[in-house]
Amino acid sequence: MMMRSGWLFLSVLARALEPAERDVVLGDLAESGEGVGPATRHLLGLIVRRQVGLWLAWRPWLALLGVSCLAAVSLSRIVFRLNVDLHKYAAGYATSLTPPQEVAFLVLLAGAVTVWSWTCGFVLGALSGRAVWLTWSVFYFVVLDSAWARFVRMGHIFLPNPHTHEALLDSWPGTLRLLMATTLPLSIAALLFAFPALAGAFGGVRRRRLTVHYAYLMASVNMALALFTTWSTGWYDPAHLPARWPGVPWSTRLLPFLWVSLPAAYLLACGIPAARRPKDDYPLPPMVPDRPSPEN
Amino acid sequence: MLGEFEYLLISAAARLGEDAYGAAIRREIEGVTKCRCAVGALYTTLDRLEAKGLVTTWMGDPTPQRGGRPKRMVRVTAKGIQEAKGFFRAVSRASRGLSWAIDPVKVP
Repeated sequence: MMMRSGWLFLSVLARALEPAERDVVLGDLAESGEGVGPATRHLLGLIVRRQVGLWLAWRPWLALLGVSCLAAVSLSRIVFRLNVDLHKYAAGYATSLTPPQEVAFLVLLAGAVTVWSWTCGFVLGALSGRAVWLTWSVFYFVVLDSAWARFVRMGHIFLPNPHTHEALLDSWPGTLRLLMATTLPLSIAALLFAFPALAGAFGGVRRRRLTVHYAYLMASVNMALALFTTWSTGWYDPAHLPARWPGVPWSTRLLPFLWVSLPAAYLLACGIPAARRPKDDYPLPPMVPDRPSPEN
Repeated sequence: MLGEFEYLLISAAARLGEDAYGAAIRREIEGVTKCRCAVGALYTTLDRLEAKGLVTTWMGDPTPQRGGRPKRMVRVTAKGIQEAKGFFRAVSRASRGLSWAIDPVKVP
């Protein structure tokens, strides 16, 4: 029973390896009659070596720096904004927007978060391969932690002051805002980000690149959402604080949306040569499925 | 120039001939060196040797002894044999006249 559960554990652990290598290594360990402990050590050693080997290529670094860090900060800003605006809408916060305008703005923003998250996840999976568990985790925490930092910076979370011994929760609105911030990972905005990003990452690891048609489609949807969201924020900001906040120029509003659309540009760039070069050139362990020719 | 573990791996695969695959090579190396051979070191070195064109690998047939899982069969290429010869000559030249080379260890 112990042995069987141990091998079940090894089989789960071996999923970190490529499928062909997974079977070979588990077969070797079974044949050599290793106990579960030494077999786990051997397997972990190989997994660590494979993971380190992945980081010798430039693609996981591009995923980590370009998507998990840079694009994630822009996406975080949009997720934070959607979260706040959904709460405002649910609470019936008075603005001078017409109801159709308000709904259109929220739907556009929700659609944008979903599409951008999927695109970022796909590019993370495509670039990172089996290192995606790390790049995706960094991506997830950068998006949520940047949103948290924004909550703190904008006064939605009151940090206790050690000099004045100010209470953390001193008023009901503060409590509500704190609740909104602490439940951020379970909020609609965060879920609209997390699930598409996860689905995209799985798709990216499996398919590595989109066909040209899908790449064009995704790039067009990304760009259209960037333009429509920029346009709708243009009449959203002045409607919230008409006396004090005239809104920001369209070029400044467009920048974060363009920045978060960059992974779509990568998809497009990779999709075009894929039409001419269908064979995947991503460096996988050279497992040759057929017998070598006799001259070898 | 090969590394010492690369040389050990090529030698083991060459000695095993048609029966050279991961677990058998590991047993052979452990038998010769009397040291533990890590699976991770074996397979990453095998990948490196294959990338250099010193060995070729392919998937063998599954066996019941391995729980129905396939073997990764290995064959040393002509280039691999040349490299191994070069390494052996270099080690022999480097060892010439040294006390441990004059009184070689008896091989069982």
